[in-house]
Amino acid sequence: MIRDAIKTTLPIFFGYLPLGIAFGLLFQELGYPWYYATLMGVCIYAGAAQFMAVGLLAAGAGFVEIAMATFFLNSRHLFYGLALLNSFGNWGLRKIYLIFGLTDEVYSLMSTIEVPEGTDKPQFYFLMTILSQGYWVLGCTLGAWAGTKLVFNTQGMEFAATALFMVLLIEQWIKVRRPLPFIIALVASAIALLLFAQHMLILAISLSLIMMMVLRLTNKKVHDEY
Amino acid sequence: MNIEYLVMVIAIMSVATFATRLPPFVLFSGREQHPLLQFIARYTPPMVMTILVIYMLKSVDYLSAEGLYAFIALFVTIGVHLWRRNALVSIVTGTAVFMSFVQGWF
Repeated sequence: MIRDAIKTTLPIFFGYLPLGIAFGLLFQELGYPWYYATLMGVCIYAGAAQFMAVGLLAAGAGFVEIAMATFFLNSRHLFYGLALLNSFGNWGLRKIYLIFGLTDEVYSLMSTIEVPEGTDKPQFYFLMTILSQGYWVLGCTLGAWAGTKLVFNTQGMEFAATALFMVLLIEQWIKVRRPLPFIIALVASAIALLLFAQHMLILAISLSLIMMMVLRLTNKKVHDEY
Repeated sequence: MNIEYLVMVIAIMSVATFATRLPPFVLFSGREQHPLLQFIARYTPPMVMTILVIYMLKSVDYLSAEGLYAFIALFVTIGVHLWRRNALVSIVTGTAVFMSFVQGWF
């Protein structure tokens, strides 16, 4: 099962390793010991937020400001659990960890792929999550600890994240086979980009969710077919 | 360099991040079968995936060669995926193509 889990999460490895290294490199410029980069990967486990943290730490930002900025930056995650309510059972502490580890990439994989036949679902999800976080922590640590001495050039490897989302978008298309959610997402993205390009993610996700629900409530055809 | 400050920041950011991932599970626990929630559960992933792809492509600088590289790599990824339908193969191939361009392997 661990081999299946590694195979499934390997695309996340290619995305997280270079991104984690980039974070670690940036972090070590602050002058803190390298193992605090590891600690951040273990406790916070959010890519964009950790990059933002470097700036906030350097500026000596206040705690309230940091809490609000982090919450807002990650607010799109508020919607991620919605798709997984049915997938996660009452698995106790393991479920808490799965929720903690619900990053963009892990959410995308879990909401798209099917667990391999005959595998224990909670165990498989747990392995996917802990492996993904492992890749991230490894990247953060490497970057902060040995970043400047690294011999392998990871430049361009971050494209793995784009490729992962693209592949999962194709898989979603094969699964859903109906154009509406994709069209709505395109329209919402365009509006979000025009209005607030900086906060595009949260704006586009909430807009598309609202549009989809309004359509379902007001349009009989959408209500019956979707 | 102030370790106490750093540790506090890490603690606050950990809680704030978890606070964005937890709410749906608390708010809707036991109501998973509600038709509207099932509808949302079904259609958020395709919408989120579309938005994430657009988001990733938005930060590319289209006036430089990088824009062209990103598009070639993206089409290679799509092509390989439609051909083999093996996520790992598609992603590794697309990423290798992009890396070969930006690092000037050829």
